[in-house]
Parts: sequence; structure tokens; C-alpha cells
Amino acid sequence: MRYEFKWSVLWSGQSGSWLLQGLVTTLAISGLAWLLAVALGIVSGALRTVPWKPLRAVATFYVEFFRNVPLLVWMFFWYFGVPPLLPQVAREWLFDHAAEFWAAMCALGVYHGARMSEVIRSGIQSIPRTQFEAAVAMGLTTFQVYRLVIVPIALRLIVPPATSESLNLLKNSSVALTISVAELTFQTRQIETYTARAIEALTAGTVIYLVLCVGIATVMARVERHFAIPGLITRGG
Amino acid sequence: MRGVRTVLFLMFGLALSVAAPALAQQSTLEKINATGVLTIGTRTASPPFAFVNKQNEWVGFSIDLVEQAVKPAIERKLGKPIKVEKKESTPPTRIPLLTANAVDLIAGTMTDTRARRESVDFSLTFFVTGAQFLVKRTSAIKGIESIAGRRVAAQQGSTNAKIIRERVPTARLQEFPDQPAAFQALSQGQVDAYTNDGIQLYGLRAKAPRPNDWKVVGDFFSYEPYGMAMRKNDSDFRHAVNVGLMEAIESGKYFELYDKWFGPNGEAPYPLTPENRRFLIMQVVPK
Repeated sequence: MRYEFKWSVLWSGQSGSWLLQGLVTTLAISGLAWLLAVALGIVSGALRTVPWKPLRAVATFYVEFFRNVPLLVWMFFWYFGVPPLLPQVAREWLFDHAAEFWAAMCALGVYHGARMSEVIRSGIQSIPRTQFEAAVAMGLTTFQVYRLVIVPIALRLIVPPATSESLNLLKNSSVALTISVAELTFQTRQIETYTARAIEALTAGTVIYLVLCVGIATVMARVERHFAIPGLITRGG
Repeated sequence: MRGVRTVLFLMFGLALSVAAPALAQQSTLEKINATGVLTIGTRTASPPFAFVNKQNEWVGFSIDLVEQAVKPAIERKLGKPIKVEKKESTPPTRIPLLTANAVDLIAGTMTDTRARRESVDFSLTFFVTGAQFLVKRTSAIKGIESIAGRRVAAQQGSTNAKIIRERVPTARLQEFPDQPAAFQALSQGQVDAYTNDGIQLYGLRAKAPRPNDWKVVGDFFSYEPYGMAMRKNDSDFRHAVNVGLMEAIESGKYFELYDKWFGPNGEAPYPLTPENRRFLIMQVVPK
């Protein structure tokens, strides 16, 4: 009883269009969640370093609360826990407009925002204090120092770990299938159900994730090179 | 997570099937005769067919059928007592477990289908059910004819989801990997109905905190005949299993067990319809 591969299941029938739909959903959910994560990450990463304690405390609470609970739990929280808190009308509207998609987007974005925040904080803290002091001495307010000096430098420093974090976000979007989002992993399982060809379907999923992630990593490497500040970031080779 | 488990099982199955050919020559009855053990693959959480109860015993209707109908028939055929051993088998693992000789008989909630008959053989049909819908008591949904445009939950990989996708493409199907999540979505209103095999819905309803808040509606929109699966091309063993089931139906033992699990005081009350009773009896061929 040797396993006989039958790769044609991947392009015969509906498999191809399922994979494509799954890919589109995965990209949509990851893209939106990424924007949310970066926005939350920049704000809370910056807040964790400001010289005012209550703000730091709020940001610390956000980071520790959201990154220390498993993503799966957050998925259930946003899908099952949040809607009952909304007024009836809003809830009905949401259920009618792909509630599972938005719940998964929030879960991914808020969770990865907390992790992104730590990446950004480490970037900010790697900048010598003298930069901050020099900027203040120029007459800038604290907000201006962050907006014009600290954050722009920090964002350039953290491209490699932020890329890693973004790739994690993309791959973690597969957890959304637990709340019935028909993303890429869901679709590979769908193919398995219809064709009983588990290995072929999983291989297709693997290859798509791999190509996607390697593609993003390549683009980010170019971004890193393009925005590097001469003299500040030394490149090997 | 389930994906990873599936891969591990498949790899395990592949490894076993490479090692298996030497054993494969032996028929199942010869194997049972040599070891004195009939190994069945069954479920741990599919009440009332096969599940672990509060006393931590592995019981259920399918298991009773094996122990009280199939086992005596095999014992008579071999002329000696045998033991029944149970192993967990889930939908993705049951066929590999069978072909790898890890189990001899699947006795759980497996639907007999033509596609599956390409890889395994089935016994007589020992239970008949079909897909229905679980809805709130006040719901207007009456069956597959009234789900167009509605949000319907299903279990991923089920035949029910497949049929809805083909017959009512406008229904908004949401597939969950497991039953608890789907039921949670139903009770909170994320979905309007949940579809699964009727008997499973009755089981779910019986176990819900307030069973009267729910109702099972609709005619069967799929046909799910449960059978016991075994390795292909082993007609002596298949015949022994079938003789056991036929005798149980003939002697009334089957109906006694049915009443124990599906009767008014059973785990999931599910009255046996006159058609199904006739169908079961007509499967019994003369002595």
C-alpha cells in the first residue's frame, strides 16, 4: 500500500479557485491587521519610553495583557466575547457583514500590535539619550521630538525584526479558521475533504505561504537598504 | 493544530503500511484467531454512539453492538472466546488505521459512501440518519428550503456542508472545525442555524443547558447510513460481522439496545421511525 501522489487534484475541479479565494482572504486579513498592528505598535512603543509614568503604565498594560494570552483565545474573544457587548442593532449589522472576518482582523492586529510595540520600543531605546536631549535643546516639544527625530530613526533600525514579526502575523492568520474564516489553510483542508488528498493539499498551502513570506522578506530587505541612514547603520560586506 | 496531527497520523500510517505487507496476507479472522483479540476503532466523544461517560467508561450504542452482536458471532465462527479492544479513531485517521492493520473494525459514526467503498468494505447499515438543522425555538427556518440568504453553520469537512454549497449556493455557509464553536455561534446569533446529522443535533440539544430553547427542524436533506468499516476483500470476516448484526435485529437485541440509548430515557431520545425499522428488518436475509 504505497501512497500514490495525485497532484492533479490541485488544479482539477474547484481546487484552484478555492486556493485563490483563500489566498485573497489571507492577504486581506493580514494586510488590514498589519496596518492596525503597526499603528498600535508605534503609538504604544513610543508611549512606553516617554518621560511620563501614567502613559507608560497604560502602554505597558496593553503590551503585557495582549501578548501574553494565546492568539486562539483572542480569536474567540473578539468573535464570541465582544458582540454581546454591542447594542442589538450594531450586533445584527455586524453578523450580517462578515463578523468573523472583522473579529479575526482585530484579534490579529491587536495581538501583533503588542508584539510590534516591543520591537519599536527596543528600536527607540537603542537611540542614545543625547539625541533626545539635543532635540529638546533645539526647542522641540516632546511630541515633536518623537514625531520628527526618535520614531523616524527607530523605524529604520527595526526593519529586520519588524519583518519577522510581520511574517509571523501573516502565518498566524491561519488561526482564523477556528472562527470560520475561509482563509488559505481552511481552503487546503477543504480540498482535503473533497478529494481525500491530504498531502497534496497541505503541500500546496505550504508552497503558497513560503512564496508569500520569501517575497515579503525580499521586499523588506530592499526597503531596509533604501532607508538606511548612512553612518548609523553599518552593513556587513 | 489538527493539521499537524493529521500529518503525523498520515506519516505514522505510511510507516505502518510499509511494514504491513507481511501481515496483510493473513485474513482478519485468522488474525483474531491467533491473537484472541478483536480490535475496534471507535470514538471518544460521539454520544450516544461511542463516548466516555461520567464514570469514565468507554460506552455507546456502536460499542454495545460490537460486544453483544458482532463478538458472539465471531466467537461462534472461531469456536473460542475472544476479547474486544477499543482504540480511538477520528474521521481523518480511521481509514489509515484500518489499512495499516492497527484496527480490524471501525464501529463509530461512519457513513457508508460509494467513495469510501473504494478503499474499505462496509457491514450492513446499522443506523440511519440524515442532515437536519438545529435552530432557536422561535426561528422561522423550517428546513433546507428556507435557508437561502441565511447564515448557516456546519462542521468543516462534513457531507452536509458540501450538499448545502451545491443545493443552496445563496445560503451563507460558515464552517467551524468543531461542534462546540458552531453551537456557541448559534446560541449567540452569529449564525441562524447549525446543520449536522440529525442524531448528532439531538445529542447536542439533549446536552445543552436549556434543551427546550432549541429545536431540530427539516426533512433529512442528506442520507447518512452508518456502517461498520473493515479492510477490503475479506468477505469471511465481513460475513461474520453481518451475521452478528442480522441475528441481533432478528432476535430483537438490536431494538433493546436502541431503546437503551435512543429511547425516552436514553442518552439522546430519537424515536425509531417505522420506515427505518422496516429497512433494518429487510436487510436481514433468510438463514
